[in-house]
Amino acid sequence: MAFDKLELNETEVWDGNHAAAQALRQAQVDVVSAYPITPSTAIVEGYAKFKSDNLVEGEFVMVESEHAAMSGCIGAAAAGGRVATATASQGLALMAETLYQASGMRLPIVLNIVNRALAAPLNVNCDHSDMYMVRDSGWIQFDAFNPQEAYDLNLIAFKVAEDHDVRLPVVVNQDGFLTSHTAQGIHPLSDDDAYNFVGEYKPMNDMLDFENPVTHGVQTEEDWHFEHKARQHSDTMNIVPGKIDEVFAEFEKLSGRKYSQLECYNMDDADVAVVCMGTSVETAREVALEMREKGIKAGVVGIRVLRPFPFANIAEVLKDIKAVAALDRSAPGGAAGALFNEIAGALFNTDSKMLLSGYIYGLGGRDLTKKHLVDLYTELQANADAGKLLTQQQQFIGVRGPKLAFL
Amino acid sequence: MSEMKKIKNLKEFSTSADRFEGANLLCPGCAHSIIVREVLNATNDDLVLAASTGCLEVCTAVYPYTSWDASWIHIGFENGSTAVSGAEAMYKALKTKGRLKQPDRNPKFVAFGGDGASYDIGFQWISGCMERNHDMMYVVLDNEVYANTGGQRSSSTPIGASATTTPAGSISYGETRNKKDMMGIMAAHNIPYAAQVAPNKWKDMVKKIQKGFATEGAVFINAVSPCTTEWKFDPKDTMHLADLATDTLVFPLYEIIDGHELNITYRPKNVVPVEEYLAAQGRFRHLFKDEYKYLIKEWQERVDANWAYLNRREEARV
Amino acid sequence: MENNGWNEFEIGAMLRTFDGAIEDIAGTRQEDRNYTQNSSFTASVADWRLEKPVFNKDYCIDCQFCWVYCPDISIISRDKKVIGVDMDHCKGCGICVEVCPTNPKSLLMFSEQTDEESAIAGWPTKEDKEK
Repeated sequence: MAFDKLELNETEVWDGNHAAAQALRQAQVDVVSAYPITPSTAIVEGYAKFKSDNLVEGEFVMVESEHAAMSGCIGAAAAGGRVATATASQGLALMAETLYQASGMRLPIVLNIVNRALAAPLNVNCDHSDMYMVRDSGWIQFDAFNPQEAYDLNLIAFKVAEDHDVRLPVVVNQDGFLTSHTAQGIHPLSDDDAYNFVGEYKPMNDMLDFENPVTHGVQTEEDWHFEHKARQHSDTMNIVPGKIDEVFAEFEKLSGRKYSQLECYNMDDADVAVVCMGTSVETAREVALEMREKGIKAGVVGIRVLRPFPFANIAEVLKDIKAVAALDRSAPGGAAGALFNEIAGALFNTDSKMLLSGYIYGLGGRDLTKKHLVDLYTELQANADAGKLLTQQQQFIGVRGPKLAFL
Repeated sequence: MSEMKKIKNLKEFSTSADRFEGANLLCPGCAHSIIVREVLNATNDDLVLAASTGCLEVCTAVYPYTSWDASWIHIGFENGSTAVSGAEAMYKALKTKGRLKQPDRNPKFVAFGGDGASYDIGFQWISGCMERNHDMMYVVLDNEVYANTGGQRSSSTPIGASATTTPAGSISYGETRNKKDMMGIMAAHNIPYAAQVAPNKWKDMVKKIQKGFATEGAVFINAVSPCTTEWKFDPKDTMHLADLATDTLVFPLYEIIDGHELNITYRPKNVVPVEEYLAAQGRFRHLFKDEYKYLIKEWQERVDANWAYLNRREEARV
Repeated sequence: MENNGWNEFEIGAMLRTFDGAIEDIAGTRQEDRNYTQNSSFTASVADWRLEKPVFNKDYCIDCQFCWVYCPDISIISRDKKVIGVDMDHCKGCGICVEVCPTNPKSLLMFSEQTDEESAIAGWPTKEDKEK
């Protein structure tokens, strides 16, 4: 190889974007096709700079829109090599058409989504409405709660996506600004360890194999379409979870950092629990410990893998919990929150007597404070004590004006 | 650089082993596949192909069949160009990294799209590919209408054509806008090569395609594709319509090198009146009513003016 | 191709044209290629035709106009000579007849039921060119 390696320190101070960019460098991504958008831009800028400094070999294609960014990624992935990009919010919305095409064509692309609110009104700060918008697009979806995880999950993402039994694209979510622009101490792998973990790209159905031509992106009508979609869902449900667990275990062996599809904190003896995503998981963990000092047995479940949704795992984890709050950081658009629905669905045909309430919070980057969570746990405990919900099923927290509650 | 395929004459051309197959679902008499064959047979090098959603795409890759003997990809309506640019980027990356399975090949990257996919919905994507100067060729199969969806006007539809969204009627002569000058716009990207071609002038076409393949960088080709279904003529007359298109100078054949050097590549010995081109197609039938005959005159004036403009450009070498 | 179940085909609805590798596709004639059942080469559109072209070798000058202008890759030329029409892939558009420059033409359209022998037996003779 003609490029230079980087000697990294045992601890580096990186924000989430730089951590993701470093992972792309270490994975020696072949093609990045990208378009800038706040707050994700630094990831692809990072790859571009590494390339300019001869720290990675590959093609950086700076296209003219996010739709073209993913279109280029699809062409490049079908050609046969390692591909990644990054986007957020409006960019993801523009890209949405191609996400379904990438997954339907079973192309292993890694997409970093640096979560940001969707307009209107325009907003550059974190919420999860972009993540939610594409949750059924057929991509595997990871969620990082901090910069270290953004780094780790990018390496893990390539290994899962490119496995020949999987061959599905993977999203790595991280919170805009809260993770992407917050520098923390990170423990990276060495360049060699990281690359050896991800492994060399193994082509499959590659267009650049000129002696074995392939046709990608066919039309299937009512006599074929259903079977292809069924195959994709079957692989996502039956093969992907086991593969993710396998790669998580391998990563733990290498790094000492353990990942699970659901990250459970103090759940073993918990009476009440919060289920949430992104940086809120870390805030909730801190508050849960404080609640325990006040005599409330509080736990936290962080969703590490949003798709395929760990349906059975969450039913198992929550089955003995008395009161659970589902925190959705996205305007629900006339429904209960997405996480509320997922959890309700997972627990419905079980013996659980869990009381479930949904909370809409943090839209457009509004802080979720410790005070909010103290109140929330207190409310959950009251529900648990009463043996019934004392509030409506959907409440907005952190919004000014009269109390908003529905359902 | 690979050796250019020798095609002195049609007999020699006919020894080509096609890499596009029959029993595709294109209409009988469709010019698209004539153009595709002439493009593909212009080289013996490996091909990496893409098509935007449209007639060519929906008729050549309907599961469980493919009509392509080279790697081919379709993503969506607007992004056939970018699909190939991504593949071309991967080719470059793997070449640099020494990871190509067959490193000694000279693949050509070609994307096809209709005028709807090119002049309209995919315009920005093509512009991006041209501006980035990928080593690729984009070929418009220009039949001046959204034929795949049943005949709606595109920005390539010429004045007076009746399309389903600009239908001729008791108070309408159909399309009121002039066709977009896509060649001019693409050449303005200062790409190394842009050319307008027609399937009836196969030799001119093959020469230009070979020139395009030999060019390093982005190449834009606009190919007139007479559409039996939407232009409304008998399928057997496709080549006659193509002859009329080139010999009336409605579709002049020329090339633009490096964004400025314009060369006219075909000068009909006998220029045919535009009226004959219009009369041969059902989409213009209404123009022959008395009240619209002035439009035929205007058509001729427009074509004359454009031809004069192209000649001035050629002469001026700017 | 039979209607397989969801677990019986390649992922991503990907199709392969050939069984096994072909080193030089452009240098390999159709008859020497190992097409899979997914190549439309193995399919037929013969039932699209209302009329069919009949080729009469006697008048053919091998100009190859019919070969180059056939939209359906149905004029079979080998070694610069036209040797016939691929009746599985011909849709009966009639372009080959229109572009044929010989007098009489070397290709003419007949009803689908006409047998080739009687078509050739009744082939028209040289006509004076229309002015």
